[in-house]
Amino acid sequence: MTCEEFERVLPELGNDHSIEQDEHLKSCSACSELVSDLSEISKQGRLLQACEEPSPWVWNSIEVALRQEGLIREQPGNLLVHPPRLSWKLRWLVPAAAASLIFFGVLLHERGGIPQHQAKQESPAGVVTADLQTEGMPSEDMQLLNSVAARTPSMRDAYEQNLRAVNAYIHDAEQSANNDPNDEVAQQYLRNAYEQKAMVYEMALDRSLQ
Amino acid sequence: MYRKQRIATVSVVMIIIVAALAAAETTRKEMHFKVGRRANISIVNVYGPISVKPGIGKHVSVTATSYSGKVEIDQSKRGNRVAVVSHLLQGADSDSGRVDYEVVVPMDANVTLHTATGPLHIEKLHGDLLLEGSTANVDVRDVSAGRVHVKTLNGPVTLTNVNDAYVEITSVSGDVSLHQVNGASVHVNSSSGKIHYDGEFGEGGQYSLTSHSGDIEAIAPSYASIEVVARSVQGRVDNDFPLQPEHTSFVTRSGSAFAGTVGQAASSVNLLSFSGKIHLKKREQ
Repeated sequence: MTCEEFERVLPELGNDHSIEQDEHLKSCSACSELVSDLSEISKQGRLLQACEEPSPWVWNSIEVALRQEGLIREQPGNLLVHPPRLSWKLRWLVPAAAASLIFFGVLLHERGGIPQHQAKQESPAGVVTADLQTEGMPSEDMQLLNSVAARTPSMRDAYEQNLRAVNAYIHDAEQSANNDPNDEVAQQYLRNAYEQKAMVYEMALDRSLQ
Repeated sequence: MYRKQRIATVSVVMIIIVAALAAAETTRKEMHFKVGRRANISIVNVYGPISVKPGIGKHVSVTATSYSGKVEIDQSKRGNRVAVVSHLLQGADSDSGRVDYEVVVPMDANVTLHTATGPLHIEKLHGDLLLEGSTANVDVRDVSAGRVHVKTLNGPVTLTNVNDAYVEITSVSGDVSLHQVNGASVHVNSSSGKIHYDGEFGEGGQYSLTSHSGDIEAIAPSYASIEVVARSVQGRVDNDFPLQPEHTSFVTRSGSAFAGTVGQAASSVNLLSFSGKIHLKKREQ
């Protein structure tokens, strides 16, 4: 099995691998690292989803307010509001509370200005798809993108797009410089293109932002 | 009727709770430092805006507003160097890790700002400025007598009224816009972002605007004093100025390159793109 064949089956890859896939993973360190990175990203993505759950304190505060209004009564040994334990008369409160929380959640979310594409990036499946879209990128760029995705998933798309732009610049500048090695302007294009790539790497690896 | 009142009451209570929750998470921290001449001020803020303005005297004040418990503000002062860092805790994202900074520094301070999302804003300073932001919108205005160094990936960069400065801007895909920017050295290096210059090309400086695929538009007055070289390998090149021809190392074909001088040619201007369009425009009076 070649790396290309392995990457083709990567999106469908679960925990169980075929003998052929296992053998390839044992013999190919690049694919093995890729699978390991994707597993880590997937794990982190699930953690992020868990973080978005409202804390018990939120439910507790709602319960306290409802009790103060006399809308629910004391139930021994139960301090939190759990929808299944409410009487049928109060069940309407659950969707109402959820709707209010979602409404204010959206307001708070908009205030923070999270880009629309972030949710997609934070899902493990999104990361796998995005990785496959980086076909043709140098392996060091792939490693850089995986490193960015593991640290700040929301920035991965930006880095990928900009690496593509810089690589296109380098490609054209190299061709231009090869066509006429004495052309000073072509040499300047090349210097500028590499300066840009260096900057992208420098920013991606900037420890102060980690 | 009673049921409607009850619904209204519960809604109000829940609104108050959620508002209280949001307010409870908002923390405002003020920090003050006494510094000497040309102090070095560094702010690192992964998510959120940083705005820097000049103050009176040798004081630095930093106001940081955070919106969750998932970010801490670390501060340090060593000698003439002040550093403030947003320290993200486990699980912080662009929403919960956001901190808004308002910073006041002495006019001669050297300022370094690092961010991922920004935006970054600096005004009315005379020191050296370094601004780095991956996707951050960068805005620098009314500064002079220092170095202005900006780096972004796709964040747009705007410089307004910058004089007697050494300017260096590198942006991969962010648009770069320079209004009344003059100095001994003004360099812009972009891949796919557009570059727009509207100014005098003054102070006998060296101006270099280069891109890969982004268009370059430079607007100068008819009395500009420049020696200009413009060339695009694949894009169209246009010029509104009557130029005195000049020898170049490459062939100047109409529509793809030109070179020449205007006036006394005090400043040197290079407009280079690989596939972007280039237009040197004369400012309408």
